[in-house]
Amino acid sequence: MQNVIERILNLLAYLLTAERPVTADEIRNTVAGYAQDSDEAWRRMFERDKDLLRSLGIPLELRPTDAWEVEHGYVVPADAYSLPDPGLTDEERAALWLAAQVVRIGGRPSGPDALFKLGGAPLGASIEPLGADLGASSHELGEAFAAVSDRRELRFGYRGSDRKMLPYGLVHRRGHWYVVGPDKGSPDIKVYRLDRAADVTAGPTAGAFDRPKGFRASDAIPGAPWEAGPDDLTATVAFDAPLAWWARRQLTGRAQVTEAPDGSLVAEIPVANPEAFIGWVLGFDDGAEIIAPPELREGLLARVTAR
Amino acid sequence: MTTSPKTAQRLTRILSMLPWVIANPGTTVDEVCDRFGYTKRRLAADLDLVFVCGLPGYGPGDLMVAYIDEDEVVVEMADYFSNPVRLTAPEALSLLASGLAIQSTGHASAALDRALDKLRDVLLPDGGEALVVDLSEPEMVGTVRSGAAEGRALEIVYTKLSTGETTTRLIEPWTVFSTMGNWYVSAYCRSAGGERVFRVDRIQSVVETGERFEPPVVPPAPVVRYSPNEDDVRATISLAERGRWVADYYPVEIVEDDGEWLTVRFSASDPLVAARLLLRLGVDGKLVEGPEVGDALRRLRSVILKRYSR
Repeated sequence: MQNVIERILNLLAYLLTAERPVTADEIRNTVAGYAQDSDEAWRRMFERDKDLLRSLGIPLELRPTDAWEVEHGYVVPADAYSLPDPGLTDEERAALWLAAQVVRIGGRPSGPDALFKLGGAPLGASIEPLGADLGASSHELGEAFAAVSDRRELRFGYRGSDRKMLPYGLVHRRGHWYVVGPDKGSPDIKVYRLDRAADVTAGPTAGAFDRPKGFRASDAIPGAPWEAGPDDLTATVAFDAPLAWWARRQLTGRAQVTEAPDGSLVAEIPVANPEAFIGWVLGFDDGAEIIAPPELREGLLARVTAR
Repeated sequence: MTTSPKTAQRLTRILSMLPWVIANPGTTVDEVCDRFGYTKRRLAADLDLVFVCGLPGYGPGDLMVAYIDEDEVVVEMADYFSNPVRLTAPEALSLLASGLAIQSTGHASAALDRALDKLRDVLLPDGGEALVVDLSEPEMVGTVRSGAAEGRALEIVYTKLSTGETTTRLIEPWTVFSTMGNWYVSAYCRSAGGERVFRVDRIQSVVETGERFEPPVVPPAPVVRYSPNEDDVRATISLAERGRWVADYYPVEIVEDDGEWLTVRFSASDPLVAARLLLRLGVDGKLVEGPEVGDALRRLRSVILKRYSR
């Protein structure tokens, strides 16, 4: 390990001070630790080192060494090597570290690496009796976030078709991650669930789109599943008293609820997705009833009598 | 062959520690150890490594200078490492999303609020609302959480998701956590005489009993994802195209996929769970085999039809 670290520090010191693209041959002949006998051994070692640099977050680019573009060399652009200093105080770093410890993403809490890069903080153990798991594989989420923050196109497979979209935003709600934005060449805002997207890849060009001013990603994702869809219905539903508490907790501010003296409820509920709505009402067994409109009532009965 | 994660972590720490020492000349060993999670020995070893690296020529004027002088950490001739490496996209997302998750519960400290504003300015300069994490809490979370923090036993009225059965229980709340979009509390349930996990939005009401308890030093890691066990009822279900989400959502065993119908083996703690699912699926789900589930489904259908025909 020691040899690798020395070699990488030497390589990075060389790249950061070169102020011009340096070719692979120059690196091999100049940087300490690369004196390899065989071309093959050198190539393997250099490939591994490049992967390591990139995995640390170090931008390593290949650029022409002169105007004729015959030869290419490696550059670590100084402005891309570092983030602008966010100017965190120790107290703020400690608060971030505490949050990172209680929230799991991709099945585990974030390691301290990110915090070290921001200047470190005393790493105490969490004493909060609180935890949250935001699910998702960190690779796909990282790729989607890179596309959102650098404004790159995002490509992925979704339900068997290939998508190319402009990711305006990323939202975690009701246990899922959603990427929000228009498909390329279309004005309509779409919502894709990230766990259903395959081979998520951020495009090569940063700044590929402009996010509309005042864009709020959360607006695209409704408060309840039945509020997302093309329909515009209002349902009247009766909930029995023993289940009234459960109905109230799931209804959003868009529903109008009237309580009868016996504790039962009648609610007027805006419905944009009848399928999802009927599924939800069925979850109350015989403790709820769609009173109106007839098409939702019949839709529910059709599900119950389906064979 | 790839490089081990340990090497990457060690490098990240070196490349983060150097800029900090350079920016804070005169800093002490304790300070650096505390801040970057070093032991004194580890720090000395990393500084020794740095000392033998530098620029081509690799002579005394080319190598970096790094050593411990009594209590002081000294780094010189390393100006090219005076800025920390940028965060990777997964690192940036993890930090921001973790903070935003806590913030969305309404329990963020003022320091966390400020930290998130500063990070967002750097990581998402043109899109303040481009990343949203919403873990909105059901109303009971606050009480359950303070019960857990202060070691107060609680009496809860709880309705079981699978059967709708409502019971009053005495619990010692340990940990409150959110996963897969729901909030849970893991607790010792005195009424059941064992460890239980409750979904917080299924707690109808909660009262502090005034009784204290000693929480376990390290509460056992709660298991939320349903895992089939021997007492479960089993059913074989065929899913049409529009019902295939079931296979992603529940822990099912896939029996057959003929392109049109996906047939899965489904287990549940109560036949009602499977029956409700089939009802929701309508024509997109068929019960192939499972007599208990079939009975539950028939009962469910008849009580609902009865209600709608009165």
